[in-house]
Amino acid sequence: MRMIKRLERSPTLILAVITAGFIIFGYSTSILKITDFIIFCIYVLGYDLLYGHMGRLSFGHMLYLGAGAYGTALCAKYLSSNVFLAILCGILFGAAIGGILGPILIRTKGACFALLNLAFNQVGHFLVLVPLAKITGGEDGISLHFTGYRFLDFSNIHQLFFLSLISLILVAFLIIKFTHSPYGILLKGIKENETRVNFLGYNTYRYKLITFVLSTTIAAFAGALTTLNYNYANPSFIDPHRSVEVIFATLMGGAGSVLGAVIGGAAFMTISNYLPRYILRWEMFLGLALLIIAFKFRKGIWGYIREI
Amino acid sequence: MLLGKGRDGVILTVENLEVHYGRAKVLHNIAFKMDEGELVTIVGRNGSGKTTLLKTLGGFLKPSAGSILFRGQRIDGLGPENVALKGIRYVFQDKRVFGELTVKENIELAAYPIKENLEKAVQKVLSVYPRLEKFLHSKAKGLSGGERQILLIGRVLIGQPQLLLIDEPTEGLAAKIISEITAILLSMKGQFSMIVVEQNLATVARLADKIHIMKEGVMFKEITDPEMIRQPSQYENDL
Amino acid sequence: MLQTIFYGLTIGGILYIISIGLSLTFGAMGIVNFSHGLIYAIGAYTIYAVMAKMGINFILGAVIAVLVSIPFSYIIEKYVIRRLYGESIDYAIIATYAVLLIGVDAIKWIWGASPLPISDPVGISIQFLTMEMPLYRLIIIGLTLLILIGLSLFFKKTIIGKIIIAGLGDREAVRGLGIRLDKYFAIIFILGSALAALGGVLYSPISTLHPYMGFHILILCFAVVIVGGMGNLRGTAIAAFSLGLVMAITGRIWGPAAEAMVYVVMAFVLMIRPIET
Repeated sequence: MRMIKRLERSPTLILAVITAGFIIFGYSTSILKITDFIIFCIYVLGYDLLYGHMGRLSFGHMLYLGAGAYGTALCAKYLSSNVFLAILCGILFGAAIGGILGPILIRTKGACFALLNLAFNQVGHFLVLVPLAKITGGEDGISLHFTGYRFLDFSNIHQLFFLSLISLILVAFLIIKFTHSPYGILLKGIKENETRVNFLGYNTYRYKLITFVLSTTIAAFAGALTTLNYNYANPSFIDPHRSVEVIFATLMGGAGSVLGAVIGGAAFMTISNYLPRYILRWEMFLGLALLIIAFKFRKGIWGYIREI
Repeated sequence: MLLGKGRDGVILTVENLEVHYGRAKVLHNIAFKMDEGELVTIVGRNGSGKTTLLKTLGGFLKPSAGSILFRGQRIDGLGPENVALKGIRYVFQDKRVFGELTVKENIELAAYPIKENLEKAVQKVLSVYPRLEKFLHSKAKGLSGGERQILLIGRVLIGQPQLLLIDEPTEGLAAKIISEITAILLSMKGQFSMIVVEQNLATVARLADKIHIMKEGVMFKEITDPEMIRQPSQYENDL
Repeated sequence: MLQTIFYGLTIGGILYIISIGLSLTFGAMGIVNFSHGLIYAIGAYTIYAVMAKMGINFILGAVIAVLVSIPFSYIIEKYVIRRLYGESIDYAIIATYAVLLIGVDAIKWIWGASPLPISDPVGISIQFLTMEMPLYRLIIIGLTLLILIGLSLFFKKTIIGKIIIAGLGDREAVRGLGIRLDKYFAIIFILGSALAALGGVLYSPISTLHPYMGFHILILCFAVVIVGGMGNLRGTAIAAFSLGLVMAITGRIWGPAAEAMVYVVMAFVLMIRPIET
């Protein structure tokens, strides 16, 4: 359909559709809930940069979300009451962990990359739960109370909703700009045939590392917003068992496109919020759905819409 | 045993063969016929599609169009196992023996699917190249390039092969061994039908009954005149 | 210290038993098999069920548990693994992880989510020099050695073993000889899974059962496979015992860090010798 083609080509239109979609979605259901959806979509966007655009499947991306969440919470609790400083702290923490682990991780690919991420996530989860329990609160996590900043009031759900939405649009815009630049074409080259890109004289290592750190930074941003939204950080924010959620969302929406990632994020959150009420065996459902995706539905929702 | 020869003594008929790697078409409309007992060589530059063609004949690649008939029966799309069991034996390039296994075990693996007696199989390989005997119980990865190549060729002679597909048998070997291998191939000539992919035109000139020159995925030229085959200078510019 | 080494060997032995299948599946088929963890959990929960509920003794229970795992691995091989040949490794990871998820939930459904204990089936310790060694752990080490020897004979002496060794190195060349390699890989997949079930049986008395146990052990075993080299059988054995010792020694110094240390070692190994897979 021509309309879909036109939508895909225009970044402004994509961002407008996302904004309008979430505002309608939010005010017709529950603002509180949809804020959560939006934050999750940011996380999916960051993940898709790594998986959809560069072809690296991480099985431990919760580590970076958790880094952002705990970075924010710890900063807010021990350092400063300034909310924006706390968020910045979370983001930088996620970027730093990406920057430290990246050089090891990025040299691997495929199964090794996936599993190493999982192993590091396991270590991170363990660190939060046991050795650092004194400052992270261990099992119980950290409870916070975010007040406001000048005219902003973070206990107001509407303001929080729009802060998250603006963040999502910002991240989406950034990713569209990135992937449509020569850098994005290189990423695609790395995904399809890394050796060839290397032969062309590009230092793929650098591009891979930048992409990886960018992805962890975006995940950490989502983590920071999660802490802000929930007013706490607990070990479920860094639980490696939950790493599959973002993979599922990315695939369901359609990997490798901003709209696919957002559709996937929203669809996953809808399913996980409403379905467990009716379906008792949630993990079983998730497993079956993943099997269907892996064998029959690889292009995802957006992939199919595009082909109509 | 009389081999079940096809009509007109044709062993292989290839028609309109097309092969894709992903979206890229690498073989275009390949067609040729080959007679029983013939030794056909395929020459061409790297990337011309020689090996792709040979692999397709061996069942390792599935053609996207066209057909391959072996004695009147279609074999395209059967898969390498079934093609091999029909007596079409493949010798890979790069001397791919099973390095972790001994020479004897390499032979054992070749004899196993065709239910050939192991001792008989070993004798068959040794009849081609008696010097392998002292290596029978050492790991194949310790052999020299030439010895590995001879093991591979010997291995496909076990049982009753009908058609041999041999990919670059002399690539990267020293002159002395090349002439040994050429002599082995010459001694097999007439007993089996063979398709040999070869870059070394001096070897081609000694062996071939027919030459196919490939270029960019098509059969570019066919040479059948024995006089011309013996003089590589006449066709080396066609590569 | 001697006791620590002894404990390390026990853990290493169990890791080895579980990792073989994982390593073979990876080396042979290029598939990262998360469902391996499920088979391990099935082994453990089956022994629990037959011992606690039916009062069957441990040895017979172990045999039953291994047998019970076989139809499961057969189904997984036929309907999931086989359909993943030659596919992108991402889908292999996702599909087998999905199987694990389904299995974990099924376990929760049947046995509940809370941990279940199994007591030491032997319950005797023997005195050696100054230390006390549970006989059960000695049996585990003995059994591991038997399996180690048995497997190396299997791969050296039998035609199936030789086909697998050849296939690990060069799939195409084996198929080109007329050997239906996927059939042999299926056999080896089921063998590896049966060993994982046995690992679950053996490990359950020295730990506890919980639905996520398969997920948990799997990450450890992946570390073994990565350190030992995918599809490298001797490497797997060496890595399993080394990492078992790492766990035991770290655990003695500071209990909670035992597992984390394994991943640190793995990261170091990867920094020195990156694997491009």
